Amino acid sequence: MSETITLPSDLSSLPEKDLRKLELQIARKHSGMFPWEAVVWAFGNLVCWLALWPLVLLDVVPLWLGFIIATINMSLVYLPTHEAQHDIIARPGAKLRWLNELVGHATSWMIVTPFNVFRFTHLEHHKHTNHPELDPDITSNADGPWQAIWQAIKQRQPNGKRSQDYLASLQRQGRDDLVLMTILFRLGHLAILCALAWSGFALEAFFLWWLPYHIALTYLVFFLSWAPHYPQPEQGRYRNTRSWMSKVGNIGSMGMQFHIVHHLHPYIPLTRTPAAYREMRPILEARGCRLEDH
Amino acid sequence: MEHALKLLLASMPMIFALGFLAPVIAQGMDALGWSAPFGTTNLIFALVVAGTLGIVAQIRGSWV
Repeated sequence: MSETITLPSDLSSLPEKDLRKLELQIARKHSGMFPWEAVVWAFGNLVCWLALWPLVLLDVVPLWLGFIIATINMSLVYLPTHEAQHDIIARPGAKLRWLNELVGHATSWMIVTPFNVFRFTHLEHHKHTNHPELDPDITSNADGPWQAIWQAIKQRQPNGKRSQDYLASLQRQGRDDLVLMTILFRLGHLAILCALAWSGFALEAFFLWWLPYHIALTYLVFFLSWAPHYPQPEQGRYRNTRSWMSKVGNIGSMGMQFHIVHHLHPYIPLTRTPAAYREMRPILEARGCRLEDH
Repeated sequence: MEHALKLLLASMPMIFALGFLAPVIAQGMDALGWSAPFGTTNLIFALVVAGTLGIVAQIRGSWV
């Protein structure tokens, strides 16, 4: 893991196969380890959010504080499931494969989407990044950051195209069962919210789940979907994703400044993408990637 | 079954408005110590407000 990969001083004259070889060497160096951070993150976040409910209902934690914590919890749900979607925790057939699946299934329900819906649509996003018809995340396309936020809100409306794109992606892949599962998740979520509300816990349901969920989705779409792929028309392996500098830093943008590495080598754990990017940067530069981190 | 499910999905804005938004508004008013105008209860007032918003969202296909 700590091996040093020495790059030639002039990469521009290297043939494609040598660039590819060096790139893969770096990618392999930063992959294959067990991403324990993602597992701790997933279950710690789940336990924290579940614990909020009795703590708020018993007045141990005030609702305003519960709301802030719940919003952070909701924003943190997606990335561990994202590691699981890419089999980074354990590949099929591996001893810890059950843990990979558990991380995905046990946490993705918090943001009201079945794990396999995330998995199938996200892999389509990788396959067809920025394609106007085949990329299920294309609706995050927007001309600037404020438009991206507004677009994220608009696309969640009943007439939003985003959910139609997701359903179309699942149908293209022959997964009508996941379409039904998605509908059941949405109805179940609404049923729980209504039951809580009519039992006298409307404000708790609103501030611990509904509003944090919506804030988190806007945040996630902005940083995980819009920012790394902006401007969306660019397609092609080395052009569809960019590196960039976030005003809220690497943690505030959830490591998405280095999302280009994830799109090129999706088996690298999130926590390793910054180091992989720094090492890979000269190669990416030689390949004409969109490096906007300066 | 499929027809019932489609009908249910098509009615989501109204279900959300009356099933969730109305009690949120009513309990929010209670928590803030606000009283509904025209001598109505907070819940009736909230059902009218949320129901109106729900009808608009139902017709427009959007809450915003």
